[in-house]
Amino acid sequence: MRKVIMGNHAASHAVRLARAQVIAAYPITPQTQIVEELSEMCASGQLAAKFLKVESEHSAMASIIAASSTGVRTFTATSSQGLALMHELLHWASGARLPLVMVNVNRALAAGWNIWTEQTDSLAQRDTGWCQLYVEDNQEVLDTVLQAYRVAEQIALPVMVCYDAFILSHTYEPVDIPDQDRVDAFLPVFSPTRLLDPLNPCSFSALVQPEHYMEMRYRIQQSMDEAIGVFRTAGEELHRHFGRRYGNLETVATDDAEVVLVTAASMTGPARLAVRKLRAEGVPIGLLKVRLFRPFPTAEVRAALAGKKKAIIVDRNISFGKGGIFADEIRAAMSNVDERPKIFGYVAGLGGRDITPAFLEAIAREALEKEDPPELEMKL
Amino acid sequence: MKQQRITFQNVDDLPNVVVSLGTMEWNHTGSWRYLRPRHENKVPACSNACPAGNDIEGFIRLIGENRFAEAWLKLKEENPLTRTCGRVCFHPCEAGCNRAHFDMPVSINALERFAGEHADRNLLAKTARPASGKQVAVIGSGPAGLTAAFYLARLGHGVTVFEAMAEPGGVLRYGIPAHRLPRAVLDDEIADIASMGVTFRCGVRLGSGGDLSYAELVGYDAVFVAIGAHESRRLGLPGEDAKGVMSGLHLLRLVAAGTRPRLGTRVAVIGGGNTACDAARVLLRLGTRVGLYYRRSRAEMPAFKDEIDEAIREGVELHELCAPVAISTNATGAVTAIRLIRMKLGEPDDSGRRQPHPIPGSELEVPVDTVVAAIGELADPGALPPGVEVTGDGSVRVDDLGRASVEAVFSGGDVTPGPRTVVDAIAAGKRAAVAVDLYLAGAEKAEAAKVMRVGLGGGISMSQYLERSLAHERYGDSEHVVTFDELNTAYFESQPRHRLKRLTVESRLSGFAEVNAGLTDREALVEAARCFHCGVCTECDNCYVFCPDVAVRPLGEGKGYEIDYDYCKGCGICVAECPRASMSLAGEEA
Ligand SMILES: Cc1cc2nc3c(=O)[nH]c(=O)nc-3n(C[C@H](O)[C@H](O)[C@H](O)COP(=O)(O)OP(=O)(O)OC[C@H]3O[C@@H](n4cnc5c(N)ncnc54)[C@H](O)[C@@H]3O)c2cc1C
Repeated sequence: MRKVIMGNHAASHAVRLARAQVIAAYPITPQTQIVEELSEMCASGQLAAKFLKVESEHSAMASIIAASSTGVRTFTATSSQGLALMHELLHWASGARLPLVMVNVNRALAAGWNIWTEQTDSLAQRDTGWCQLYVEDNQEVLDTVLQAYRVAEQIALPVMVCYDAFILSHTYEPVDIPDQDRVDAFLPVFSPTRLLDPLNPCSFSALVQPEHYMEMRYRIQQSMDEAIGVFRTAGEELHRHFGRRYGNLETVATDDAEVVLVTAASMTGPARLAVRKLRAEGVPIGLLKVRLFRPFPTAEVRAALAGKKKAIIVDRNISFGKGGIFADEIRAAMSNVDERPKIFGYVAGLGGRDITPAFLEAIAREALEKEDPPELEMKL
Repeated sequence: MKQQRITFQNVDDLPNVVVSLGTMEWNHTGSWRYLRPRHENKVPACSNACPAGNDIEGFIRLIGENRFAEAWLKLKEENPLTRTCGRVCFHPCEAGCNRAHFDMPVSINALERFAGEHADRNLLAKTARPASGKQVAVIGSGPAGLTAAFYLARLGHGVTVFEAMAEPGGVLRYGIPAHRLPRAVLDDEIADIASMGVTFRCGVRLGSGGDLSYAELVGYDAVFVAIGAHESRRLGLPGEDAKGVMSGLHLLRLVAAGTRPRLGTRVAVIGGGNTACDAARVLLRLGTRVGLYYRRSRAEMPAFKDEIDEAIREGVELHELCAPVAISTNATGAVTAIRLIRMKLGEPDDSGRRQPHPIPGSELEVPVDTVVAAIGELADPGALPPGVEVTGDGSVRVDDLGRASVEAVFSGGDVTPGPRTVVDAIAAGKRAAVAVDLYLAGAEKAEAAKVMRVGLGGGISMSQYLERSLAHERYGDSEHVVTFDELNTAYFESQPRHRLKRLTVESRLSGFAEVNAGLTDREALVEAARCFHCGVCTECDNCYVFCPDVAVRPLGEGKGYEIDYDYCKGCGICVAECPRASMSLAGEEA
C-alpha cells in the first residue's frame, strides 16, 4: 500500500512489520514520533509488543539488551544527546552479540542547543561495534529497517539506521508499505542460539581474561567483515521481494567519470541534481553514495574510486581537529591503492544548514578548478 | 561443582558470547545477603484510625473487583451497621487516609454506603459457633446495644435486647433525622440483626421507676448496659420552664415519631453540637426561621463540620459568640424572646478549646416563639444497675474491655466516658461482646485482647478474634501502621476524589428526603481504584518484575509470593519498588 507518510512513521511501520516484541524508548526530538506511533500500535493491538516506558535512553538501551538476551526482537530509537547517553551500553550490546536494531535520527549535539540535522552524533559511536547505515529517503528508511533486522540476526551484531532530522524525519513522501506476508517472507522469525532463561540460569558476559578477550574481539571483527557481504545479499533480497535495490554503495555515472562527488544520507538527493547538471555541461563527474558506513565496504569503495582523478567528499559531520569523517574513512580506504584520486574533503551543513544542489555544484566546480585540496575543509 | 578447564583449539572454537557451560544454580548468591526482604502486610492508616477496626482496604478491593455483595459482607464482619455508618459516620478513616498527602483522601464513607446498597441478608452467617446455652441481656438498642447483640448472637449466645422506646435504634432512630438516615435503611439493618436470632423487647424501660428492675432480669448470665445519654442538660436560666422551651433531643424524638409540633415562626437553637445542628435543620423543614446561637466561634463547634456547613447552606442563621442569659415570657407564660450576651474568646481551657467570656454591656434581645436547648446530654442515673461505679458526670466507669465494677455487668457507648459517636458506640459494643464471651467462657483476657487489636488506635477486629490466631490473614501480627512516606508513590496517579452529590436546598426543605446521593457503580469503581491499599499486598508483581535475581516467585492468584533465599542477594529493590509498603527489609541475623 502506498501512503504519503513522514520518515519517522516509515520507521514505525517497518518495526511493526518486523513484528518487534519489546520496544523501549525515551522521547527526544526529532525521534519521538517513531515511538509515539509504535506505542499507539501497541495500544491498539496492531502490534503485539511490550512497550516499556523508561526514564532515560540509558535505561531504554539496558531494557532492550535484557529483552534481546531472552530471544525476542527489540527496537529503540533516539537522537543526539540521547544516543550519547546510551554510549556505555552500545559497547555492551555488541560485546554481548545482541542483534538489536535502533533508529538514530541524526541531530546536532549541544552546546549550543540545536535540534536540526548533523551526523556527528552517530559517527561519534563509530567504534562501538554497531553496524551503521545512512539513508536517503523515506522509502529507504522503511526498507533499511527491515534489512537491518535480517542482517543483525544473521551476524549477531546490532545495527543502527541513521537518517537526517526533519529533512527525512518530518517530511512527508510517498512510501510503499508492504503487506505483512511479504515482509514475513523476507524476514524470518528470530531464533537465537543462546537464551537467557530463568529456568536454566547461566552466567552471561562474565569476566574474560586476557587469554580470551582478544579472541572475542577478533570474532566481532570477523563478523563485521562478514557483514559486508550479508548486507549486500540482504539488499539483493530486498530487491527480489519488494523490487527496490539497495547496495552498500550506489554509483551514478561513475564509469566514465574523472571526478566523483561522494555523499551520504539525504544530501545525496541534491547531489544527484548537481551531478546531472554538470554532466549536461559535459563535466566528467559521477556520484558515489555511501550507504553502509560500518562495516566500511573498503573493497567496494576502492573499486568505485580507483583510477579517478579527484574524489569530492561532502561531510555533514566533523571530527574536530581532523575534519570530515567520511572523507577521512575514504582517504584511509584509498591509501594503499596505486591509482588513487586526490581527496577533496568539505565539511558542510552542520546543525541543519541547508545543502542545496547549487551549493554542491559550487563545491564541485571549486574542486574541479583547484589542483590541490583546500587547507581548511569547512565550507561555511 | 566439578572444575572444568576449557581449552580452545583455535579462534573458531570460541563461542560468540561469554556464557557459562551449564546452570549456575550451584552458586547460592543468597550467601552474600546482609538484608532480608520479606512480604509482610501492615496496618493501613485508615483501619488504624477506625475505632471499629474495619477492614477498609479489603472491602474497597472487593468493590474494585466488582464483588459488591462480598464487600458488604466484609464490612459486616466488623460492623453490623454498615449502611448506617455509610451515612452518618464522621469517618475518622478518611482523616487517617494516606492519600490525603497525595491529593485527597479516598471517599471511604461513600464507598461504605455503596457496599451497603448491595446487602444480601442471605449471605450473613447466623453463627460462628455452636449455641453456648448462655443468655445475655442487652439494655438499650442504640448502636452499642445493637452491635453487642449481633456479635453475641454470632458467638453462639442467646441475646435479648430491652429497649425503653417503642422501636429499636436509639439515637439512630430518635435523634438523627431521616434526611440523613432514612428509616428504611435503619429498619433493614436492625432486621439483619434480628435475623441472627436476637430477641427485641421494646417498650421496656429498666431501672428504678421503669418497667423492669435489674433484679428482675433473671436467667441472664451477663448484662450489657448501653442506654446512652438522654438527659438533656438544663440551661439554668430564668424562664427555662416556660411554654415554648424544649430540649433538642425532645424535639428530634417528637419529629422522629411522626409528630409535627407547632413552634411559631422564629426559633432559637442554643448549642453547637450535633444535636443542635440536627434540631436546626429539622426546624427548617418544619417551616420556621432558625437562629443557631453558640457561645464560642464556629471553629470550636463540636458538631461535625459537614453538618455545620449543610445547616448554614440550608438557611440556618449561625450566631457565633452568643450565650443566652434569660428567656422572656408573656402573661400566659409563653416564650416571647431570648436575651443573649456577646462573648469573646480567652485562653484555652482543659479541653484545649478557648474559653468564652461575656462582654459586659453587650446584651441583646431577639424575639422568638420557641427556644430549643441542645447544650449536651447526660446519662440517666436511675437507669443504671444498682452498685455500678460512675464518674463525676454520671457515666459508667469501665475498664478497657467494657467491664463495669459489678460482676457480670458490662457497659459501653454514650453511657460510658469517651467520644460520643456512632462508630465509637459500635466499637464499644463489639469490645463488650468479646469481653462477655471471654467472661462466659472463663478465658484469659490479655491474649485475646492482643489478637483482636488492629494497629495502635484501639480498634479491634471481630474476625481476628474469631480466628484466634496471630498469623491472621489481614495484617499478620504486625502493629506497624503504614505512613505516607513509606509508600512508593511513583506508582500512583493523581485522580480527583468523588464529589458527593446532594439535593438542592429547595427540594430538601420540602420534606425529610435523604440529602446525600449514593455512588453509581461506575463512580464506586473509580473511587475504589484510588485506594493505595497501604501495607496490604495486591499482587501487583513489582517485587517479581524488579528482582534482578529472579528470586521472587509468584505462587498463583491469591497466594502471594515466595522469596528464594538461596539466590536473594538482599539488594532490597523489591522492597523499594513495593508501592504500598507490604514488604519489609531487616538485617540478617549474624
Ligand atoms: C441528634 C444527634 C445526632 C448525632 N449525629 C451523629 C452522627 O451524625 N454521627 C455520629 O457518629 N454520631 C452522632 N451522634 C452521636 C451518636 O448518635 C451516639 O454517640 C450514639 O448513638 C451512642 O450510641 P449508644 O448505643 O451508646 O446510645 P443511644 O444511641 O443513645 O442508644 C441508647 C438506647 O438505650 C435506650 N434506653 C435508655 N435508657 C433505657 C432504659 N432505662 N431501659 C431500656 N432502654 C433504655 C434508649 O431509648 C436508646 O434507644 C449524634 C447524637 C445525637 C444526639
